[in-house]
Amino acid sequence: MATLEIKDLHVEVTDEENQTAKEILKGVNLTMKTGEIHAIMGPNGTGKSTLSQTIMGQPSYHVTQGDILLNGESIVDMPVDERARKGLFLGMQYPAEIQGVTNAEFLRAAVNARRAKDDQISVMDFLKMLDKNLAILDMSEAMTERYLNEGFSGGEKKRNEILQLLMIQPSFALLDEIDSGLDIDALKVVSKGVNAMRGDNFGSMIITHYQRLLNYIVPDVVHIMMGGRIVKTGDASLAKRLEKEGYAGLRDDLDIDVALVDEN
Amino acid sequence: MDTMQTQTQAATAVQAAAQQHNEPSWLINKRLAALDQMADLPMPLVQRFNYRDWELMPGNLQWADSKRDLAQVADGPVQIVQVGQTTVRVNLPEKLQEQGVVLTDFFTAVKDYPDLVQEAFMTKAMKSNENRLASYHTAYLNAGVFLYVPNNVVISEPIDIQLIQDNTLDQPLNSHVLVVAGRNTEVSVSQHLTTVGENANLANCLMEVIADENSHVTVATLDELGRKTMAYVERRAYAADNASVNWAVGFMNEGNTIGNFDTELNGVGSRADAKVIAITDHDQRMGVNTKITNRGKHTNGNILQRGVILEDSELVYNGIGDIIHGAAGSEAEQENRLLMMSSNAHGNANPILLIDENDVMAGHAASVGQVDEQQLYYLMSRGIRRETAERLVIRGFLGAVLSAIPAKAVRSQLVDIIERKLENGR
Repeated sequence: MATLEIKDLHVEVTDEENQTAKEILKGVNLTMKTGEIHAIMGPNGTGKSTLSQTIMGQPSYHVTQGDILLNGESIVDMPVDERARKGLFLGMQYPAEIQGVTNAEFLRAAVNARRAKDDQISVMDFLKMLDKNLAILDMSEAMTERYLNEGFSGGEKKRNEILQLLMIQPSFALLDEIDSGLDIDALKVVSKGVNAMRGDNFGSMIITHYQRLLNYIVPDVVHIMMGGRIVKTGDASLAKRLEKEGYAGLRDDLDIDVALVDEN
Repeated sequence: MDTMQTQTQAATAVQAAAQQHNEPSWLINKRLAALDQMADLPMPLVQRFNYRDWELMPGNLQWADSKRDLAQVADGPVQIVQVGQTTVRVNLPEKLQEQGVVLTDFFTAVKDYPDLVQEAFMTKAMKSNENRLASYHTAYLNAGVFLYVPNNVVISEPIDIQLIQDNTLDQPLNSHVLVVAGRNTEVSVSQHLTTVGENANLANCLMEVIADENSHVTVATLDELGRKTMAYVERRAYAADNASVNWAVGFMNEGNTIGNFDTELNGVGSRADAKVIAITDHDQRMGVNTKITNRGKHTNGNILQRGVILEDSELVYNGIGDIIHGAAGSEAEQENRLLMMSSNAHGNANPILLIDENDVMAGHAASVGQVDEQQLYYLMSRGIRRETAERLVIRGFLGAVLSAIPAKAVRSQLVDIIERKLENGR
């Protein structure tokens, strides 16, 4: 069993324009284990993406206080590739497009990155694994010969993120708004992919605005973030309640003093 | 000693060497005329690239045999291999010989096919008096290849020209590859330039392509001259009506290098496509002009250049589209992109459009940038190490040109060279 612990995490980003630092996360605490699915919900601008990017190691986010422990070991000083090889995966909201590198070539490099030099995956095994996962996601083989994310539609990009998840088999997947821009059919396919990973050796942190995704990937734990902190934690029913009452309702219930970005 | 006297001595030396070589009088006279005008001609203009202090014209014409075993080249079906001035082998299948195809060393061709050579050599695609290096080349020419494809002959097998500069000796390589493609022909040429030996020498390598009416010529090159070679590489083409010339240049020389690639679209409906890939490293300096001139009506020129600049090196890409008055209905497109991999790298991507005709389509794109950190982050977030991620991004950057190289063997060799350069250049 693997664990991911976030302890009193404070994170700043530097505004490129005026070179001022802004604190986004103001003391996040969270512990998850493999076998569990956690959902993180919260209004816009509350630090959900910052949390996932910081755990993965995006260099623009600076940890000013607190720690992130993967299986008891602090990872805050590790480069992103090392964190990935230790078992973290981030399904991104805006995956980069890379011309000239085929999806298949990239997937193989990613799979092999976690394996020892003398234990690289054979072409046959790789293709077998690829075919199986393409079938789960209802993706055509032609997708693997296209350049990485180049010219992919929003839905294709999201599917491709999940394809990578299935190929890489991380311990923890952070999925950042994997449902945004998906129609209902694509949402089902993506959920099917994540559910295929569910088991004792896999945990996931799913960041979403909408309860709808959680009908397909039922979480064990739901956290609500506001103003850079987790303000409430509950089970799947919390998400349903939120759907009814909205974030403003919850905020007022909890008597928290934060402004919501989209509040009129 | 005054200049006049030096000039006379140089002429006497060139004449003596050419006579010793049993050259016909037209060639000797051409050499002497070139030598005579050298001092008055300008050096080739490479914008934004200063090479004033480069020693590009060592003045000695000598004949020397090279050791044949310096040429370690795999045998090919249609092939000519030269090391220095020595032709190691010529493979020309009987069927092509029967069709009248000629593939031989330049000076043999001067003897055996004087009319063909005299008509095409520095007369159409370029002239000796264009610039000082072209005239130096003519005066001090000491090696070369002649390829002739008679009218209506289609050659499916690529013709492999392997030129190995012999730097075990102390002499420049002044090599001329002359390709004459007759009417309705199809031919694809691959040229590989390499160096053996450790001496520092000049390489002045020219190639002329005469593409007659409705001929289709493809040239793919792998230029891998050594670190101690200072190189001037000029490749020129003349395209007649409805002819097409496609260049794919893998400019991987290790020493200071100037490249001048220029296609004249003279005939109506002729087309040219010039793709150039370069990687520079160490403290290397490289300046490249890639030019297409639209002279005939309805001509179409397309330039695509990509370069990667490593360490402390410098790479300048000039893309030149020149549309002459009267070339109505023509198109000229170009794209020049450079990727700088270190903060000490210098790069310049410089599109130059000279348009003297209204009824044309022309466009250009240019960029000089660094590796996209977002792309690196994305790749690394999948566990891929930074070096591998950088290599993937660079390969992707060059991919647009790489994938367009028709000769598969050349393409895969180029990929290997690129991987090796990236491996070393960090």
